[in-house]
Amino acid sequence: MPGARHSRFASLHDVELCSYSATGERRAFGELVRRHGSAVRGVLRRMGAQPAEADDVAQDAFLIAFERIAEFRGEGAFAGWVKKIAARLYLRRLHRDRKMGALTAEAIEGESEVRPPDADAAIDLEEALKGLGKVERLCVTICFGAGLSHSEAAEALNLPLGTVKSHVKRGLEKLRTRLEPDAGGLLEGRRGHG
Amino acid sequence: MVELGFERRLERLFGESPELSDAESFVEHVQRRLDAGWTARRWLIGTAGVIGGVICASQLMVSNVLQRVETVGASARLFSSSFSGLNHFSFGSDWVATISSGGGAVWVAAGLAVVMMGYVLTRVIGEI
Repeated sequence: MPGARHSRFASLHDVELCSYSATGERRAFGELVRRHGSAVRGVLRRMGAQPAEADDVAQDAFLIAFERIAEFRGEGAFAGWVKKIAARLYLRRLHRDRKMGALTAEAIEGESEVRPPDADAAIDLEEALKGLGKVERLCVTICFGAGLSHSEAAEALNLPLGTVKSHVKRGLEKLRTRLEPDAGGLLEGRRGHG
Repeated sequence: MVELGFERRLERLFGESPELSDAESFVEHVQRRLDAGWTARRWLIGTAGVIGGVICASQLMVSNVLQRVETVGASARLFSSSFSGLNHFSFGSDWVATISSGGGAVWVAAGLAVVMMGYVLTRVIGEI
């Protein structure tokens, strides 16, 4: 009775599903994909991946997660763990396709694509992220969406730690201007500690 | 403090990911790839088991197992002819002689063993 098994898995906690998955139970892992697939794909899209590319990377990330499920100790959220895998995978793909160099070069030239905020419209996160430069968007998303620390992000991006910190800081300032237009002030970017 | 509050809000916003409309088809894609990988693994290990079994069987043959069985058969015949009054020894010699003369049967048995080994391996891998 596959349906019965599916409903049994649907009622289980992520940690229990991980335990089942570690024994090779693919339906249990399917339930995890059902629960967190959209979130992982969403992070990749927010990092700037095209939908099809985001889906490819997310699929690869879930397959890697299944292979390494025994390494997941349940200390953090399963979704956060897969998001980190997916973010690193996407960055590796950018490096492999030599797109990262172009992104950082664009950042040095002055983030020409930045769009001004629309003060009248209620802006959501997707819209606000579109107002950031590509590298800023990447840095902010991998730190706040995928949960990497600044130093992990610097390593994954192959950029100096200070550069990543300043991208995050600038990105946060721009996001805050868009999401909280009345707040003002500068942000330090306290995340990561190193 | 305000900055920290904004960062917390941002984390919350990043955490609130909308359910995508094609979520179910994404799950099916991942499931299909998982199943494909699993089937490939079963075949790989099953094939490795069969190849290992064939090598094992051929090594047994190369190491003159048949000849040794024949030698044992001849010894048994000699032994039973010396004690022809003892029926159970003559029965033993006939049995060994049948095996030693039936080299083809041994090959068939070895082949079946190899196939069985492969089958069992694939079942075991499937169950793990």
